[in-house]
Amino acid sequence: MSGFLQATVYGLLQGGLLALVAVGFSLVWGVMNVVNLAHGGFVILGAYVGWEMHEWFGLDPFLGMFVSAAVLFVFGYVLQRFLINLVINGPIFITLLLTFGLDLMIVQGMNLVFSADYRSIKTSYASNSLAFGSVRVPLGRLLAFALAVAITVLLVAVVNRTRTGLSILATGMDRGAARLMGIRARHVYALTFGIAAGLAGMAGAMIGTVGTFNPSAAASFTLMSFVVAVLGGLGNMYGALVGGLVIGLVQAWGGQYLPGTWVNALAFLVLIVVLIFRPTGLVGRAFYAARQEV
Amino acid sequence: MRSRTLAVAVVITASSLVVAGCGSKGEAKSANAAGSGTLAIGASLSLTGSLAREGVLTQEGYQLCQEKVNAKGGVDIGGTKVKLDIQYQDDTSKPDVAAQLVDQFNDKGIKLILSSYGSANTEAQAAVIERNGQLMVDSAGADNKIFSKGYKRTFAVLSPATEYAASIVKAIAELATPKPKSIAFLSADDGFSKTVTEGGMKAAKAAGFTVLDPQYFPNGTSDVSSALTKVKGQHPDVIIGSVHLVEGVAIIKQAKELGVTPAGFGESVAPPTPDFAKTLGAQAENVLGSSQWTDATKGTDKYFGTAKDYAKDIQAKYNHAPDYHNAEASAACLALVLAAEKAGSSKADAVRAALSGLDTESFFGTIKFDSTGQNLYKPMSVIQIQNGKALTVWPTESAEAKMIWPGTK
Amino acid sequence: MSTLTKMPQQGLISTLRGDRAKRLGPWALGLVALLAALGLQGQLYSGQERTVATIFMFVALAQAWNLIGGFAGYASFGQVVFFGVGGYFTAVAMSHWHFSFWMSLLLSGFVAALFAVIIGIPLLRLKGHYFAIATLGVAEGMREVVTNLTDLTGGGAGITVPTVGNNATTAYLGNDGFYLLFLGLAVLSVIVGGLVARNKFGYALRAINQDEDAAAALGINTTRMKVLTFALSGFITGLVGASYAFQQVTIFPERLFDVDITVLMIIMVVIGGSGTVLGPLLGAVALQFLSEFLRQNFTNLHTFILGAIIIVAVVLLPQGAVNYMREARRTKEFSLLANVRKYRL
Repeated sequence: MSGFLQATVYGLLQGGLLALVAVGFSLVWGVMNVVNLAHGGFVILGAYVGWEMHEWFGLDPFLGMFVSAAVLFVFGYVLQRFLINLVINGPIFITLLLTFGLDLMIVQGMNLVFSADYRSIKTSYASNSLAFGSVRVPLGRLLAFALAVAITVLLVAVVNRTRTGLSILATGMDRGAARLMGIRARHVYALTFGIAAGLAGMAGAMIGTVGTFNPSAAASFTLMSFVVAVLGGLGNMYGALVGGLVIGLVQAWGGQYLPGTWVNALAFLVLIVVLIFRPTGLVGRAFYAARQEV
Repeated sequence: MRSRTLAVAVVITASSLVVAGCGSKGEAKSANAAGSGTLAIGASLSLTGSLAREGVLTQEGYQLCQEKVNAKGGVDIGGTKVKLDIQYQDDTSKPDVAAQLVDQFNDKGIKLILSSYGSANTEAQAAVIERNGQLMVDSAGADNKIFSKGYKRTFAVLSPATEYAASIVKAIAELATPKPKSIAFLSADDGFSKTVTEGGMKAAKAAGFTVLDPQYFPNGTSDVSSALTKVKGQHPDVIIGSVHLVEGVAIIKQAKELGVTPAGFGESVAPPTPDFAKTLGAQAENVLGSSQWTDATKGTDKYFGTAKDYAKDIQAKYNHAPDYHNAEASAACLALVLAAEKAGSSKADAVRAALSGLDTESFFGTIKFDSTGQNLYKPMSVIQIQNGKALTVWPTESAEAKMIWPGTK
Repeated sequence: MSTLTKMPQQGLISTLRGDRAKRLGPWALGLVALLAALGLQGQLYSGQERTVATIFMFVALAQAWNLIGGFAGYASFGQVVFFGVGGYFTAVAMSHWHFSFWMSLLLSGFVAALFAVIIGIPLLRLKGHYFAIATLGVAEGMREVVTNLTDLTGGGAGITVPTVGNNATTAYLGNDGFYLLFLGLAVLSVIVGGLVARNKFGYALRAINQDEDAAAALGINTTRMKVLTFALSGFITGLVGASYAFQQVTIFPERLFDVDITVLMIIMVVIGGSGTVLGPLLGAVALQFLSEFLRQNFTNLHTFILGAIIIVAVVLLPQGAVNYMREARRTKEFSLLANVRKYRL
């Protein structure tokens, strides 16, 4: 029983972190219909920024992550404004290709600049844990989880309540109409991509604190974002959060009760079953699933 | 119209194919022709992809070997000194590319090969080596499976996978007081790690420990919480991880998070690498690890001197403490050089014969191969992280420090 | 597999009906290319043969992906699953059941096609990226299944096809043999692509690609078409996987179900021009040749340069090289900058 509780708690915490990793990916996909294969690269880049901040200025990673967010926001904005916007009207899979090229450059670039050494941002407290009976709640992950939820709520508020946010939503629904209303689509797209990259950077700094990273870890984060975004569904800002928590729990429970590494197959089985019976994802909106995409 | 586009395409296709194969079939030119003044050796390395970290360490080892040998004037082949020339190619951490590279080296007439990193890459290479009549010295493919296939042209300087965890078990059985009773193995699910686990479990049973069911997780994962939660309830006295660096770090980190506190941790591969202590800081303290090489290894050779000299050279050249991956690579290169000198030839068959009869001391310890090509004569060392340094604690005759037990407070 | 036997006839009939020179021209040129490839073999070192065989392998893979992804517009992001299933079936059949390679090869194709039907029926109802991710899920899931079926597949330690001694059921083909085998698969895939492109089947797929509801309204049995296409695509991919397994001797789940292989297929098709026969062929040859060239000459920088080249190619030719050439010839507008202007925001 205590094993079950422990797995549940850990799964939820892990899920929250995954949600933060994926929320930007989901946003970009939902608004611009771009599947960003460089997303994992942004996450790891964020981790490196956080690491550098900690190494050189002694900045705590939970503060350093704001620097990561800022750096990645600018990076993302520039990328979208001057590169991805160039092909946004091309066939859909062209953006996939473009971001794949970007991913190659970012990952190999990090390899050259930072080397492939494994790193971790060391803090005095992140590995400590609170004990509730036999169940342990690790402090670093708890903080990361709380931030992930808070940031998702904040993102929803920004998107639904501010002019900028509404212009992002409007552009995502009908770009032509939005432009007629005087919305600068180029800027809005760049903004969206910047926000997504910034959130990825933030998630990266947290991952760098609770785990280990090197450039080749990027691919697995892109894959996880893919799964989480689809599982939750597009068009609902809470989608990534729901998707992340579900995957976190499924993996934790599966790991607890299945032999070998069958748990990994289980996560994908859940994904496929959800897609077959509820193709819009758990909380996604039908519009985004029905949209002619390919 | 369409057909004209096609015509252009056909020409482009055909010409690009021709460019891909510039040269004519027949006997490939020999890269080591007499009088060329160099001994060319091919090395495929994982410089990009998931094994990039280990690939770079391997390259450093090969490179240092080349410099050391050339600083003494080169390889003495039948009285003429020729410069060592190691040619590197990136196999992108993929076994099929690593195997393809061996074929490409063969095209260039390069018959002497130094292996890539990891058992999967090496195994893929060994099959091609055998077919092409080349010769490979394996620096990092430890899985015993590679040597069970009857290959005659692959020689490994390192101790086989079965020894990685077994040596930790032996060290604990010999040195730990109070003697722990139960051991749990946590293992990555790749071939190498599974062989490590099998070897470890066998040794543990032989030493009279209670061995719990092994727990597996995917190779390369940074989340091993499920495996840890499962063993937590069983309260093992010792947890041994058959892992690589990422999973090894994850076990220590997440065990702390989850409050899993055996009397001690031991892990293969991860602890002796400098990244381990750097990444974990204080949490790395007292973790046991098995190492192919430490700077306390006994033995000396004419190119590298002693193990301590080797450590100094790596530190000076690459500005980090030596890693056993460095040493394995240098030792593989050294074995090839010594065999070529002994044979007085750079021909694959002659060097092969010399390698199989090689019996020498080196900074890496004894280099001597059994009939399958494994170096069974070199023991593995067990190290313990003490004050941030990996110190040899077993075997006791080369120990630099006493094993601290229990390792966790 | 009725499509396979039926199609050549349909293809021939439509061939005879049309403008003979225009219809037969590409086939004739294809024959010239094939002869060139055969002639080339005599010029290559053994290892170069292997390098070129890899190019052929990707031609076949790209053509196979193009059937479902290019013609039908269903971007299978888990296409590598058929590669893996085919490869593992052959490895298991040869090592456990002592089948000959040729028998295993053929069966691998059918097993992969069957697998495509089984997953295609539920998954081909999904659209766009959702189909993509579902197939990706299948591929990743299958990798884990194969990893965990240790007794049959050897798990993460890999499985070795017996090629020496008494256990060897078929003598190893050597670099010469595999060159011809992969060339044969590439030719097969191009012929299948060519036939599909020019007959009713292909037109139905394009109709599905453009507007599936309208296609259904025209009386096209869209589900059947899609599943058949997926099966055909899986069949070819399975054959390639089986050949790859024999060539490699020892195979590992991470590589046989490597998402990178799917990504490469997609990139080759898109860069060349999706929905055409020539596009995937050109894309596969160009990209594989380029990446091999870069890898050999820029040991530390090659993926970085490759990424940059892909980005430039995508920005300049978003519709793929072949489609760009066709549009440019029709409109006499060859400027790449004008092309960029068309697709930017």
